[in-house]
Amino acid sequence: MVIGIKNASKLIGISVIACCAVLVCTMFLNFYFDIRLIEGKITSELSMFFYNAQVSTAKVVCLVSGGCLLLTAIVMLLFYIKHYIDTHKKELGILKALGYSNLKIAKDFWVFGISTFIGTVIGYAGAFLLMPWFYTLQNKDKMLPEITINYHPSILLYFVILPTVCFSVLSVYYACYKLKKPVLLLLKDNLQTASKTPKHRIEKGRELSFVEDLRRSTLKTKKTLVFFIIFASFCFSAMTQMSFSMKDLSSEMMGVMMLVIGLVLAFTTLFLAITTVINGNTKTIAMMRVFGYSQKECCRAILGGYRPMSYVGFAIGTVYQYGLLRLTVDIIFKDFEGIPAYEFDFPVMIISLVAFIAIYEILMYVYSEKIKKISIKEIMIE
Amino acid sequence: MIEARDIIKSYGNGESRFQVLKDISLDIEDHDFVVILGASGSGKSTFLNVISGLERPDSGKVLYDGKDITALSDHELTSFRKKSVGFIFQQYYLLPNMSVDKNVKMGADLADNKDYKTIIGAVGLGEKRHKYPSELSGGEQQRVSVARALAKRPRVLFLDEPTGALDEQTGRQVLDYICKLQKEYGFTIVMVTHNLNIAEMAHTVIKMNSGKISEIYTNETQKTAYEIGW
Repeated sequence: MVIGIKNASKLIGISVIACCAVLVCTMFLNFYFDIRLIEGKITSELSMFFYNAQVSTAKVVCLVSGGCLLLTAIVMLLFYIKHYIDTHKKELGILKALGYSNLKIAKDFWVFGISTFIGTVIGYAGAFLLMPWFYTLQNKDKMLPEITINYHPSILLYFVILPTVCFSVLSVYYACYKLKKPVLLLLKDNLQTASKTPKHRIEKGRELSFVEDLRRSTLKTKKTLVFFIIFASFCFSAMTQMSFSMKDLSSEMMGVMMLVIGLVLAFTTLFLAITTVINGNTKTIAMMRVFGYSQKECCRAILGGYRPMSYVGFAIGTVYQYGLLRLTVDIIFKDFEGIPAYEFDFPVMIISLVAFIAIYEILMYVYSEKIKKISIKEIMIE
Repeated sequence: MIEARDIIKSYGNGESRFQVLKDISLDIEDHDFVVILGASGSGKSTFLNVISGLERPDSGKVLYDGKDITALSDHELTSFRKKSVGFIFQQYYLLPNMSVDKNVKMGADLADNKDYKTIIGAVGLGEKRHKYPSELSGGEQQRVSVARALAKRPRVLFLDEPTGALDEQTGRQVLDYICKLQKEYGFTIVMVTHNLNIAEMAHTVIKMNSGKISEIYTNETQKTAYEIGW
């Protein structure tokens, strides 16, 4: 077997994202199914408004959270498979050279679906644990008849079985696709396809320092990681700011839940992205240190490019949370009395930004210490 | 002048501890061409790493013009490598996503060398300076690593089996470039190899065996890369 459970365990990021997605979606979809059962019991117009608002909220949250997180989990899965194949090219090349077919090698990649299974099961179980509290919260003013928690097997199918099967199949299919390379290309380390910069651009372009060149090249060659860094800061920004607004619009507990999910997603993604950046550049860092580049210069070249990207993510998250809450208040709750007016909370944005900068810089400091520990003999271990 | 004094270096712990360098002392003159010769496991690469500041010995000193580099902090050692030494390895370790130009610039920037394109021309790659390592042959890649090491204008150039991954013709070509550039720039060469014939190109030959220097001799006449056997 080429890939074992140990390899799948490295996909903890997917498990965390799947867990968060299923936790939120299960709670809201189960609530959606249960609230639909009491539609006939609603008599007053005000209760009907409230009912409609709750139904719409459940739909929006399921689609937006579920959709965004599903997309991220898929990108992360594909990234990991590609990364796995790139870092195990030689072993896979040897297997192909020995006569193993692409499919025979690729079918072992199904274990990557286990990470989805673990995440979805935890999320699903967690949702049922939180559900009594969630149902009470959603109907705390008793505007609707009592909503009882019912078990809907279809949710287990949609959020646990189907994602696991789909992610396993996707893993095998994508691995098979990525393995469609000549054996020699897999066996030879340096045979990487690198596009050539057009000559006119080289001649006319301003001459950059090596560190700046490497910073740009690192960003350019690891576009998926740029996405993850943007996603992590987006989660931090959107969820922290939204959690403060949620206190007024929903409840304090809802705000705390959102904050926890946001922070878990942000840190897991950021941690995995930066670890991958450093692991993927160990040789480059080691070589730079052999030549006499300082730790600061190594950090600037390898990690420096991601800093502006993280601010872009923060800005997108700020706009997103504002847009989503504006949409919720103006469209979903427009006919509902008692919902406080929603305005952009500038002080909360500043507090989130300061917290984000502080956390990001602390994390970068920790990683720069990790860079310091990269042995310069690393390059000699082949 | 490089002076190695009573160098001892071991790897492993407890019962598996193995002494690789056993009390080695040696002097290397400026501008010399030194070859360290020995079989696999003789400790020659470890010795090169120690005298170049890549590794610290367990005991002993390495002096560059009287200054002990084993006493330097990590930061000072980095600064020392930046200013004084260049490296060429058997596996070229070029940055795959950067062109020849930019790989050489890696060395050039450290010495604020704006004239690094001359060195790319000197190793015969002027026409290929916008190519990526994957587009070059093994010999060409090693020539890029030669240019990269020399672009930082080192006082001492350390080479660890520089022709180990090359065929005979390409190996000769690379060595020829290195020798020509030494005459032009005047740096000291310390090369590790197991190839006896390459030793004929050097001025000083140091033979190592089981972590000790077994013989040191000088060649009265140095052969060119095209005159030696292979």
